[in-house]
This record gives sequence, C-alpha cells and structure tokens, in this order.
Amino acid sequence: MGRRSPITNRVRELRDKHGSMTQAELGDAIGVTRQTIIAIEQGRYSPSLESAFRIARVFGVGLEEVFRWDE
Amino acid sequence: MAFQEKSAWIMSLALLLGGLFYFGVVAWMSSQIGELAPPILPLVAVYTVILIIIAIVGHVVIAVFAPKDANTALDERERQIFDRAGHLSGYVVGVGVLLSLGLYLFSYSGNLLFYGVFASLMISQLAEYAIQIFLYRSGV
Repeated sequence: MGRRSPITNRVRELRDKHGSMTQAELGDAIGVTRQTIIAIEQGRYSPSLESAFRIARVFGVGLEEVFRWDE
Repeated sequence: MAFQEKSAWIMSLALLLGGLFYFGVVAWMSSQIGELAPPILPLVAVYTVILIIIAIVGHVVIAVFAPKDANTALDERERQIFDRAGHLSGYVVGVGVLLSLGLYLFSYSGNLLFYGVFASLMISQLAEYAIQIFLYRSGV
C-alpha cells in the first residue's frame, strides 16, 4: 500500500516486555488512538518527535532504543 | 477501524445515495419536459434532509458500538490525514467549478452551471472522504 518509512521501531517488542501492554493502553498513555499505534508498529506512520519521546518515556528508555533510521 | 474512518464510510454512502437521488430526479424531470430541468429548492431541501438523516443515524449507530472512540479528539496522525484529504479535495472542487464555468461560456445555460457547480461540490466532498479512507489504510 503506502510508502515504507526509513524509520523502524521496536514499539511492539517493548510493549511485550512491558507486561504485555496493549496498543490501546500505549495510545492512551501518549494521547493517540489505538489505530495510530498500530500504524506506527507496522511502519505506516512515523510519529511526531513529541510522540516519539512520549513513547520512549513510557518504556523508560532512550529515543534511539525505540526508533532507528534504517538506510 | 478508527471511528473517523467509519464516519468517512458513512458520509461517502450518504453523499452517494443523496447524489444518485438528486441527479436521478433531475434526469427524470428533464425527460418529462424535454429539456434540462431548472434547479428547484424543494429538491435541494430533500437532498439535504436525506444527507442529514443518513449522517445522524449512521453516526449514532457507530457511536453506540464505540462510545469512547466517538468522544476522542483527532490525534496527530488523523489531523494529518484530514489536512491532506481537505487539501486534495480542494483541487477537485476547483477543477469542477472551472469546467462548469467553461461550459457556461459555450452553453449560456445557468441551469447547467448550477448543476455543474453542485456536482463539483458533491464529488469533491466524496473525494475528501475517499482520500481519508485511503490514507487511513495506506499510511500518511
């Protein structure tokens, strides 16, 4: 379907490590919908810098441990 | 499926049914009088009522099944989707109005101009919802 973003992420993996946090719970924690979390995990949407930082803070890790630029 | 995507499907259906009804009646009236029927206010009013009824009933139904989603404001991704769809549909209405004006210069038919502009508005609105649905599914 859409153009793949060069930004990859470990959101799904970190959710699983975080006590199987659901997509809806993560969405509520950072102020986006569950569908947006799904789109982020599938690489269909690159979040804003603010949301990226919010996701990293939820998991208690640095930004680059969640998001990576894949050449 | 996101609430706003469901909403876009409902509004697309409403516009499609309303448009088919409106131009179906115009075509029927025109065939009866043997020329392009003039636009009449009661028909526009009925079209508007059809649109409003489908929109209200449709949104009530999807809100009943997902009350939390119905009360949620657009998030950053949805705002981008709405902005892009609104921007692109603006071109559709622009081209439609230009074509209608061009048609008027050749036909001098005010009725045709009205229908052309009215159809452009309907098509651009339909395009806006179609683009929203596409972006929800493919990514921004």
